[in-house]
Amino acid sequence: MSIESNALAQALGTFMEEATEFLGQMEEILLRAEDEACSEDDLNALFRCAHTIKGSGGLFGLDEVVRFTHVVENVLDQLRKGHLSFDSELISLLLECQDHISGLISVFANGGEPETTRSDELIVRLQVWLGGEAVPAASASASAAAGKSEPGAAEHWHLSLRFDRKILQDGMDPLAFINYLSQYGELAHVETIVDALPEFDDADPELCYLGFEVALRSSASKEEIEGVFDFIEEGSNIVILPPQSKIAEFVTLIESQQAEVARIGEILVACGSITAKELEHALEQQKRQAEPERIGDILIEQGAVLPPVVAAAAEKQKRVEDKRGAESKMVKVPAERLDAMIDRVGELVIASVGTHSRISGLQRPDILESADVLISLVEDIRDMALRLRMVAIGEVFSRFPRVVRDVSKELGKDIELRIHGADAELDKSMVEKIADPLMHLVRNSMDHGIEPAEVRRARGKPARGTLELNAYHESGAISIEVKDDGGGLNRERILKKAIESGLASADDNLSDEDVYRLILAPGFSTAEKVTNLSGRGVGMDVVRANIEALRGTLDIESVPLQGTTMRLCLPLTLAIIDGFHVGVGDSHFVIPLDMVVECIELPADVGDRDYFDQRNEALPFIRLREIFGERGNGHPRPRVVVVRFGARRAGLVVDRIYGKCQTVIKPLGPLFSEVPAVSGSTIIGSGEVGMILDVPSLVRHCAAAAGKRPARKAALSASEAVESIAS
Amino acid sequence: MGNETLTVPGDVAKAADPDNAGQVVTATPVVEQPYLAFRLAGEVYAVGILRVREIIAYTPLTSVPMMPASVRGVINLRGSVVPVIDLAVRFGRQSVAVGQRTCFVIVEVEHEGATHILGLMVDGVNAVMEIAASDIEPAPAFGTRVQTDFIAGMARVDGNFVIILDIGRVLSIEEMAVIKSGDLLE
Repeated sequence: MSIESNALAQALGTFMEEATEFLGQMEEILLRAEDEACSEDDLNALFRCAHTIKGSGGLFGLDEVVRFTHVVENVLDQLRKGHLSFDSELISLLLECQDHISGLISVFANGGEPETTRSDELIVRLQVWLGGEAVPAASASASAAAGKSEPGAAEHWHLSLRFDRKILQDGMDPLAFINYLSQYGELAHVETIVDALPEFDDADPELCYLGFEVALRSSASKEEIEGVFDFIEEGSNIVILPPQSKIAEFVTLIESQQAEVARIGEILVACGSITAKELEHALEQQKRQAEPERIGDILIEQGAVLPPVVAAAAEKQKRVEDKRGAESKMVKVPAERLDAMIDRVGELVIASVGTHSRISGLQRPDILESADVLISLVEDIRDMALRLRMVAIGEVFSRFPRVVRDVSKELGKDIELRIHGADAELDKSMVEKIADPLMHLVRNSMDHGIEPAEVRRARGKPARGTLELNAYHESGAISIEVKDDGGGLNRERILKKAIESGLASADDNLSDEDVYRLILAPGFSTAEKVTNLSGRGVGMDVVRANIEALRGTLDIESVPLQGTTMRLCLPLTLAIIDGFHVGVGDSHFVIPLDMVVECIELPADVGDRDYFDQRNEALPFIRLREIFGERGNGHPRPRVVVVRFGARRAGLVVDRIYGKCQTVIKPLGPLFSEVPAVSGSTIIGSGEVGMILDVPSLVRHCAAAAGKRPARKAALSASEAVESIAS
Repeated sequence: MGNETLTVPGDVAKAADPDNAGQVVTATPVVEQPYLAFRLAGEVYAVGILRVREIIAYTPLTSVPMMPASVRGVINLRGSVVPVIDLAVRFGRQSVAVGQRTCFVIVEVEHEGATHILGLMVDGVNAVMEIAASDIEPAPAFGTRVQTDFIAGMARVDGNFVIILDIGRVLSIEEMAVIKSGDLLE
């Protein structure tokens, strides 16, 4: 790929990113407008979003985006000027338009040519709001023809453009404005003025030295044409001469642009803005009347050059400072650079723990003290490094107002969304991965949870349903709740369905919680009719699998007639966990600390049974030594680490217990993808590799294996017990 | 680091240099490729050196539970966890005892578009040798103690046969990751 196309691709990427941001902003404002009156700032911001998308879209030649957004922009302009006001229908329409623009942009991003039918349909609907307002014809060919109406109405405008020299540094392209002018009419003639161009050595490539004289045949109003230059008025010299301007105005123009008079004159003639005769006349007139004063003027002007230059310099300096201030608040860093750093910090933690443990053996309090300081600093750095990846959960939540709005319209239900704790933070990679499961839960709650208004009224509840999204931190994890005030889960119906589909049997004595968990089983659906949104029975099991893949849990609480709460509990990060370090034979293993309940000695009378009685409950256990085929140093009195996951408990028999440790997770790669008991590895303080146990899958595996091994009579009851915890 | 062993001897570079090609007696220019030769259970094998990242001394391994025996375990290679393959077991033979010259050859393999690092446990490395493509013969249909599709070719070096391994096949992650139910729970 050449450098140029590379740069273009990069610029296009930036445009996409920006457009997405602007579209998001539009959506946010529109949704807000639905509930409360829109402030003037919001209206202006809306207009600006559309305008910028159109402008930069034009830069990349996205004609369809420009054509469509132009109409949207007109409507927004009317809103901004108070000629129109928001109602729910218009907001819906604008939201559709916003979706459409985003669709158009992504079509372009993928290198396709979008269809125009949908644009045309929306444009027709937008035009209803615009009434008599002149808008481009809604035909595919009209892309660049806005305002290029009947030739009779088009008149000759003359535009003299001297852009602010810093325009390029401000990220704007003069050419884009000229291209954009063609929206309003035909560019009859464009002359480039290079007089201001300095010697090559003195020229600053970041400055714009060019000026343009443009002859435009257009029927647009002066305001519309002026509107093109809305964003660049400051510092630029834009003169717009309406059709049939007086010669005197051209003369003023010639003077004001401080270029060589004759040359400007020639250009005007070339543009067809004045005739040669008119020019001659004008120059003569100027010579005759103004010459004495002109010299004085020029002198004064030369004298006066200084203050504005100083002011401009000061202004520029201030702008640079402002920009710097804004930059210091936010730094965009490529994710992989951040990941590389966190990786290294992980190494640092491992190395420092190793060093510390060696120093501890030295009996040198002075060195030990400094090692202590070092280790606490390293831990600080680790926490900070991990926090760099933290983003507010609001990033995910922000898409839900729109979803709730659209889905509730679709379902014909009135549902209010309340969001709490949008500032709770979690790892960026987690944020990306929980979006889909959350979306599913929200849709489910709206479809199945919240009852139709009549039912709600009959039940004495407000007709408007409430859906809450709550996020909060709880002991090193984040909990996210999707809570509705609907009818709650129907125990009988779930059970009936589960028995029908063979997920449960009628004589199982299941607790409420167990029954609710049935909805997470694959292929389960109680919805009587399959709707667009849910009811196909794929989903909840996928949601559960997704959440478990993130080492999270999903709990369901439900009160009949009062509502359901789905609670996701997720670790804050996937990179480092708190682990519990144990030894089996010569190997080291790490059990996620949040699963560890307690540690006890293996009762001596256990024999070769695989369960023992703990506080009147049969606790099945797994002898890791046997299962892993470890032959290394054993321990005469093995320990049992009691683990809990979900609602189940099991014991893991180990030889040694080393205690709690910070565990930097090292993924094991595809070679180990099928190992059932290990979810990753880590490097422990001594530099050896330890395996991180995947407790749920280990237990499941042992239960399955025990089921196939009926020979060992003594183990039979244990395998049943294990099976019961694993199922 | 073992990186030094990877430097290509000057005469290899010369052989590849077209200016020196005229000095070669044979009519066709000899294309020699460097290979790393190592010993394993009494035989000499070779792998293309471009696949080899480094050679490190034997360190105790951490075994990964429930993996087939061909995956000997993992080592900590400067902070990365690298699996080590017991080639003898992979070839269907008895695992070899760790000797004084046992070492790990760290190689790169491609899997689903990503490069993965694996270690090979060998009895010892011999040398980097240049083998001309013309000296490499196809593997015999039988007679070798290694399954034929693991062999890229047989080369005769100083009167002895060297088995050149098709490392992509030998270290096929798809194949090695498969856990037969018999491997589990002994």
